[in-house]
Amino acid sequence: MDFSTALQIFFSGLNLGSIYTALGLGFFVVYSVTRVLNLAQGEFVMLGGMLTVSFYTMGIPLPASIALAVVITGLVGAGFYRFIIYPARNASGATKVFLTLGFSFIIEGVALRVWGWEFRILPAFLDTPSIQLWGATIFGQTPWVIGITLLMVIGLFLYFGRTIQGKALRACANEPLGARLMGISIERMALFSFILAAGLGAVVGALITPLTMTSYSMGLPLAAKGLLAAFVGGITRAEGVILGGFIYGMIEAITAGVIPGGYHNAIAPLILVVIFLSRRRGLLVTAGKG
Amino acid sequence: MKANLAGIRTVIMPRRRRERSTDDTRLLEVSNVSKSFGVLTVLKKVSFSVARGNILVMIGPNGAGKSTLLKIISGLLPLAEGEIWFKGQKINGMTPHQTAALGISQLFQDIQLFRNMTVVENVMVGCHLQAKTDFMSSGLRLARARVDEQSIFEAAMKQLSLVGLREKASSPPGSLSWGQQKLVGLARALATGSELLLLDEPYSGLLSDEVDKLNQLIFELQSQGMTILIVEHLTDILMGIASQVIVLDYGEKIAEGTPIEIQKNKRVIDAYLGGEQLEDEGS
Amino acid sequence: MLANTRVIKEIPKRVATAKRQNLVLALFAIVLLTIPLGASPYPLTVMVDIGLYSIITMGLIMLMGLAGQISLGHAAFVGCGAYISGILTTKYDFDPWPALFLAALITGGIAAFIGRFMFKLHGLILAGVTLALNLVFYHLVSSLIDLTGGAMGMMSIPPLSLGPFTSQNLFFNYYLIWIIAILLLIFSLNLSDSRPGRALRALNVHAGGSEDAAQVVGVDVTKYKVWVFVLSAVYASLAGSAYAHYTRIIEPGTFMVQLSAMVALMAIIGGRSSPWGAFLGAGLIVGLRQLLRESIPVLVGGLSGSYELIAYGIILVVALLFMPQGLISIVRRAAPRKRAVLDES
Repeated sequence: MDFSTALQIFFSGLNLGSIYTALGLGFFVVYSVTRVLNLAQGEFVMLGGMLTVSFYTMGIPLPASIALAVVITGLVGAGFYRFIIYPARNASGATKVFLTLGFSFIIEGVALRVWGWEFRILPAFLDTPSIQLWGATIFGQTPWVIGITLLMVIGLFLYFGRTIQGKALRACANEPLGARLMGISIERMALFSFILAAGLGAVVGALITPLTMTSYSMGLPLAAKGLLAAFVGGITRAEGVILGGFIYGMIEAITAGVIPGGYHNAIAPLILVVIFLSRRRGLLVTAGKG
Repeated sequence: MKANLAGIRTVIMPRRRRERSTDDTRLLEVSNVSKSFGVLTVLKKVSFSVARGNILVMIGPNGAGKSTLLKIISGLLPLAEGEIWFKGQKINGMTPHQTAALGISQLFQDIQLFRNMTVVENVMVGCHLQAKTDFMSSGLRLARARVDEQSIFEAAMKQLSLVGLREKASSPPGSLSWGQQKLVGLARALATGSELLLLDEPYSGLLSDEVDKLNQLIFELQSQGMTILIVEHLTDILMGIASQVIVLDYGEKIAEGTPIEIQKNKRVIDAYLGGEQLEDEGS
Repeated sequence: MLANTRVIKEIPKRVATAKRQNLVLALFAIVLLTIPLGASPYPLTVMVDIGLYSIITMGLIMLMGLAGQISLGHAAFVGCGAYISGILTTKYDFDPWPALFLAALITGGIAAFIGRFMFKLHGLILAGVTLALNLVFYHLVSSLIDLTGGAMGMMSIPPLSLGPFTSQNLFFNYYLIWIIAILLLIFSLNLSDSRPGRALRALNVHAGGSEDAAQVVGVDVTKYKVWVFVLSAVYASLAGSAYAHYTRIIEPGTFMVQLSAMVALMAIIGGRSSPWGAFLGAGLIVGLRQLLRESIPVLVGGLSGSYELIAYGIILVVALLFMPQGLISIVRRAAPRKRAVLDES
């Protein structure tokens, strides 16, 4: 393999890794605060993409379109929590997972109704479809993907680590009873986590639309991949999610570059499943359930 | 007429054979067992042995590692160091269902009855090892499966009668009092046909007449050859029952002997008066 | 030979709820087997769909309701049955009947292999892994173009035949699928109230069981979980194979996460605790689908009509929020059944 191909694979891996990381972070935010595995995370991504496309085609400048899409998706997330998750807050984890599945169906159906079958696309943000770098050709969208994901990660770290609100969120995750005793409203925190995850998802959606196009049914497969990435790294820790995301991205890029045909779509997740099953918990999780 | 607990098991379920060990005196041997949870050392080189037919009571302040030791013996928790021998066979590393098959049964402190089935069904699960019907023969309702099912039911009912709860057979476990639930848990443990019974704080939460009843049952079991290992931190009652007492403190065995010897042991008194009273009313 | 008869006589005989259940079963079978005599073709095709879904859902109910494990990827097993049957009959000239059984066997084997590793995991993680495995299956099938025809699908799968009838014939197909469904129903019902069935319920932590307590009385928890997983996979495979020989064309998209979610939906709505719930759930959802298709113009067939999707989602949410036991519990309240009833006075 020559250098430029390797480089291309590397950047592709970074690209995919960023996407999976961002996806995984959406799961992480919700799971860490509420212990809910939100299978509808993929739908937030889809909504972000679809809404951005709609606004953009109406003539609204791209940044504003994205902002609008994020806001609306955030509201959807809020509604999701308020009307579906919150009423079931005392139910088992399994019930909540199925509730998120039900919600995915609803969103998918609405999306199908509003936007129909077709795939929608956006132009690359940088107006260049591809960039030449040291002999490798990479998508023009890639720097945006990597950059914005980086910003999100840093932002989340700062937020959770430094701000009072962020720390409150972490408290809810680690010790709900204690948090409550301290006067923190778990419900408020949970609501916020859903809005945050929805917003994050929407941003991801807008980011990847120039690359992979959006369609009404992309939600669940995306969720499956994001979840897998998060598990492999360890969904209980943000570092784990990031690690898992990049591992998945790299593996997918490498298999895509090396194996002809569409096999990488099957082999990459399979490798990840094998990694996960052999450890039975995330890579960064030391003991107990991961 | 007091029915023979052990006898019923071999009579109604003739398929189950009880292996006798070669060394008849020491049924259970615990040797240098240590266990830590992270940086917390819960058990430190604990060693003792239990003779067949004896009742060994393990006492000690809370947190001394007693419950953990029971779980290690039955296989629910792995040990970090040491060995455990049962009927001459090394059992550390075995899973709980394997030790159950060898003849060890356990009653948890919180009982953990199966709330999604009736009382008698709980005990029927206890009879699990007494039959071998698998998925296919049950699904197809072969004759053998039907026969087994009837036998299991009858064995379970018998077990329930022996703890005096036959009329509660088709009740849900939640409708029973705590003391009654304990007895069901005991019946379930006994239904396995075990030779060694591990009781984790069996007296906790019992009213005084229930305590008497449990004592009675324990004596009866012993007279039929059952070996019993009881963990408690209630000390006064058990002096009447125990053939052998072991005291644990901070994971170490600090004393071993007959009840009388233990009562006079200075180290034991220090351990208890240092943190807790010697006579507890209950947990 | 069995026991001391004097002791036995003192124990009341176990009154089987089986008597009433057998009656219901017989009625159910009779009704189902006589429907085709008076019905027109279209309702029959709908009934065939219900039958197929019921079979898959029954397997899932055993996994979820009895043993309390989640699988969000069961469509993969349906697909295994369908594709293995298809491959054996089109590429290797197998006869459809042995192919059906072989497919079930192989699918069961795959489930056994995966299960050994998976059931060391707990609840929610299982959901995620099964979801991912469904994805893997889909992509695997789409890529192995030589073997499976890829995304375009596999065609010209020969029909099952018995004498002069083939599964091209709607009546034959109806009877085939419903007889399988009823037989599997009997199997499942037998299983619920038996030693393995109790062992499964005992380890079902969601429903009030306890894995630890089950272990210490001798239940090999992992082995049982794997076995019920295998069983549910076999059910799914049988439905998949029957489907393949019925429609004679299969494509990977049918066996994606949407199908897994659908059968999970049917299992939940029908009631996770009893195999009867499978028919209730499948009947309801398919019935709803028909209703929607007839009254509202639909954009596309299959699972993706938009109103259908929305309706399924709403039903799932409503069912979980307000009827966590499923519809079966409403039926039960009308006709309570008791377990291990004593006829003592």
